[in-house]
Amino acid sequence: MAEQELKDPKGGASRRDFLRGGGFAAATAVLTGPATLALDEAKAAEAAALAEPEVKILSGQIPISLKVNGKVMSCTVEPRSTLLDTLRHQLDVTGPKRVCDRASCGACTTIIDGEAVYSCTSLAIACQGKTIETLESFDTGPAGVPHAFHQHDGLMCGYCTPGFVTACKSMLDKNPNPTLAEVKAGLDGNICRCGTYMGVFQAALAAAKALKA
Amino acid sequence: MAASWPENPRLITTRITRLDGMAKASGKAKYPSDMRPEGTLFGVMLYSSLPHATVKSIDTSAAEKMPGVKAVVVIVKEGATLRYQGDDIAAVAAETEEQARDAVRAIKIVYEALPHAVTEAQAMAADAPVVVKGGNVKKGRASTTLEKGTETIDAAFAKAESVIEGTYSVPVITHVCLETHGLTAMWDGPDKIVAWASTQAVQGTANELAGRFQIPVSNVTVLTDVMGGGFGSKFGADIWGLTAAELSKKAGKPVKMFLDRIQEHLAGGNRPSATGKIKLGAKKDGTLVALAAETFGTGGVSRGAQFPLPYVYSIPNTTREHADVFVNGGNARAMRAPGHPEGCIIMEAAMDDLADKLGVDPLEMRIKNLAPKDFRTEIYLEEIAIGAELIGWKAKRKPRGKNGNGPIKTGYGMALHQWGGAGARDKQVTCTINPDGSVELRSATQDIGTGARTVLAIIAAEVLGLQPTDITSNIGNSTFVPGQASGGSTTTPSMAPPALNAVTQAMEAMFAKIAPAVGGAAADLSLKDGKLLVKGEAKMSWKDACRKLGMTSITETGKFTDGLSAGGVAGVQFVEVTVDIETGKVRLKKIVAVQDSGLIINRMAWDSQVSGGVIGGLNYGLFEERVMDPTTGQMLNADMELYKIAGASDMPEIIVHALDTPAMRARGVIGIGEPPTIGTAAAIGNAVTNAIGVRVTQWPMSPKNVLDALASASNQGKA
Repeated sequence: MAEQELKDPKGGASRRDFLRGGGFAAATAVLTGPATLALDEAKAAEAAALAEPEVKILSGQIPISLKVNGKVMSCTVEPRSTLLDTLRHQLDVTGPKRVCDRASCGACTTIIDGEAVYSCTSLAIACQGKTIETLESFDTGPAGVPHAFHQHDGLMCGYCTPGFVTACKSMLDKNPNPTLAEVKAGLDGNICRCGTYMGVFQAALAAAKALKA
Repeated sequence: MAASWPENPRLITTRITRLDGMAKASGKAKYPSDMRPEGTLFGVMLYSSLPHATVKSIDTSAAEKMPGVKAVVVIVKEGATLRYQGDDIAAVAAETEEQARDAVRAIKIVYEALPHAVTEAQAMAADAPVVVKGGNVKKGRASTTLEKGTETIDAAFAKAESVIEGTYSVPVITHVCLETHGLTAMWDGPDKIVAWASTQAVQGTANELAGRFQIPVSNVTVLTDVMGGGFGSKFGADIWGLTAAELSKKAGKPVKMFLDRIQEHLAGGNRPSATGKIKLGAKKDGTLVALAAETFGTGGVSRGAQFPLPYVYSIPNTTREHADVFVNGGNARAMRAPGHPEGCIIMEAAMDDLADKLGVDPLEMRIKNLAPKDFRTEIYLEEIAIGAELIGWKAKRKPRGKNGNGPIKTGYGMALHQWGGAGARDKQVTCTINPDGSVELRSATQDIGTGARTVLAIIAAEVLGLQPTDITSNIGNSTFVPGQASGGSTTTPSMAPPALNAVTQAMEAMFAKIAPAVGGAAADLSLKDGKLLVKGEAKMSWKDACRKLGMTSITETGKFTDGLSAGGVAGVQFVEVTVDIETGKVRLKKIVAVQDSGLIINRMAWDSQVSGGVIGGLNYGLFEERVMDPTTGQMLNADMELYKIAGASDMPEIIVHALDTPAMRARGVIGIGEPPTIGTAAAIGNAVTNAIGVRVTQWPMSPKNVLDALASASNQGKA
């Protein structure tokens, strides 16, 4: 299987990279491909990781620093701590939400080194040295994505909204002129329970327009 | 003089963005699950992994010694019976959530597994294990209504010229609130609690906490500034909420406790299943004569699987027997229009099947059987005409099974629904006008995503000649004057009247106080466009007028008065689908929802509620199903991957049409949360059936259920 195909739909860290940082046990929880293939791959990756001398084996409480929304933030985590839980439980960056906790719903979406990633299945230790952006850093003015969601009522209870806003921003960064079909495809990694999709689509199209103005 | 809604409103009925919209869209809104006061510990629940078991022993000693653990609470006693997978056992609070999870795993439990029944079929079997004492099937008394001169239901059916018999089923679904159930509890001294709760009822939650710890309810503050969805499942503190407060008391630190996604599915509530064995008879022209229904459903280990039937239509002779079936599953809870979507599916499927047999247009047959004396009939007629036009019913719809020879079939379906939704009469709102010009409304209601906060501000702004953004709409605090719980589409009709009265009273009190200082009698004063007018002449800005109040604010409490709100709505939905009969895949093309709800305060949030209700209904019609494994008793899809909920690409074109007429406006305010989610799944089922020519009797309209229906018909030589 090509490396490209191993990437999750959000274009985040590849499965192989993830396994190196995460270790076998953590990784199995998030694999969605055919089970046997995934297990073989995971075992191979773990063996490869152990064979590489520069790979550190981490355990216990680990001090890390993360670059979040332009600020360097420090805290102590365990190797298994997800980026999402670290942001929410330690750094008070509570925009990204924990909903499915299994990379199905997109409420936790953050932008890591320019790519939209499910932070519920990204490990905090693997995000050191990367640029992490959450929606709290987005432009709230008339040209920003949050404004479009507000103006077009692309939210109700609002708990999925951070994920949709972030996915939308990431989509527009890559495709500033989306059609409605492209908007739908771009936001397909996110789930809303209140049923705000109509407002979300209008917001995404309006945000594209506003970004160009 | 009692206040009334303005005849030509400036703001009410228009599209107004939410007051908290930007906070939510920018990630800055703080949900209960975002709260982490200084020193907060993380609570984790231990719940049953077995569907039915006795707890022989619980040993928490190892867990208590684990790193970071500050408190352990055991919820069940040794010897207790666990009645479903997900039933609560114990809880741990630790410095990190990871530590708390480890400690929960270190609690040693010896279970004695008991035989289980997790499906209706298992529970109803002759040799079924005992789920509840007294039998797994609780049959209600048959209720029969017969017209004069008809002695038995069989005699009634003898008068029918055409009769259909069918069995229709819809499975259990779960609420899937995106913010899971839970709260963050903090003790303030020995007898005061502050709790940030994800709840639809701040006051109900406060009462529960006060009761559990035997402290005055005035010592409990429940705060719900915003919350991540409830849909009927979040009316109390729940065991996990009370346990969080107990852990907090033990540890002397705040405890944050929110369910994991698995327990949320298992124990956070569900909509019961429904099955109806139906016999429906009519005259040749489609006039209904008789209905006989045997129905059952399961609400897990609790009752609650009752639903309305007959539904919407007037049938002179009916008999109905309903049974609640108990299974080893989590308790049912109210879910958006409790009972109605199930009743609607079963009634509307039978209506279409009978219309098909009679060879009459199901739309005409529906019109023919509307209740003659019901006020809704006129509304239905208007709505059906509008909806039929918008979907192209007359031009495009073909009779069942006449949808061409190719593998992709197009079909059309419709359904009617209704809801009550009148307001409670005992709620209050306070309105404070301050000398600095700020205006604050307060009430112990909450905004669960409906836009309740904005509704109150719109009303205040309308009366005071201001903008909604000029108003502070302070809700979600249990210590304020009594506010309505957010359920049954009752929030707006309960809260709008006291809000209007509070603001009107405050304005009148202000006029009385400042009249001498502005050179006029109180009766000469009015407000418009942010200005105070004296005898119609703009005198000064709103702020300058407020300054005339001197040092003292004005606060008035408004109560409910009659005539400002009402209950009872109709509603019709039409659906266009395509079905691939080779794969069973259903694609929604278009949904039309025509809905009345009296005077609409905020058309923008109203539209969102209606299209959101439709989307909830399309999930029910197409995707959702709690899948229980009979062998292990486990829920197989307690996640958001295999538990299917529609995403962006599943969205059809959705047309929302408000029946916003002078007659509807004159009815006053009516709630809108429930009605638009009722008819969708029924209409989808009818559209699929129309497309493929075969009744799909089992919801949702998944490829499996569609193909099963085709195969079954093929085996019988029908398709």
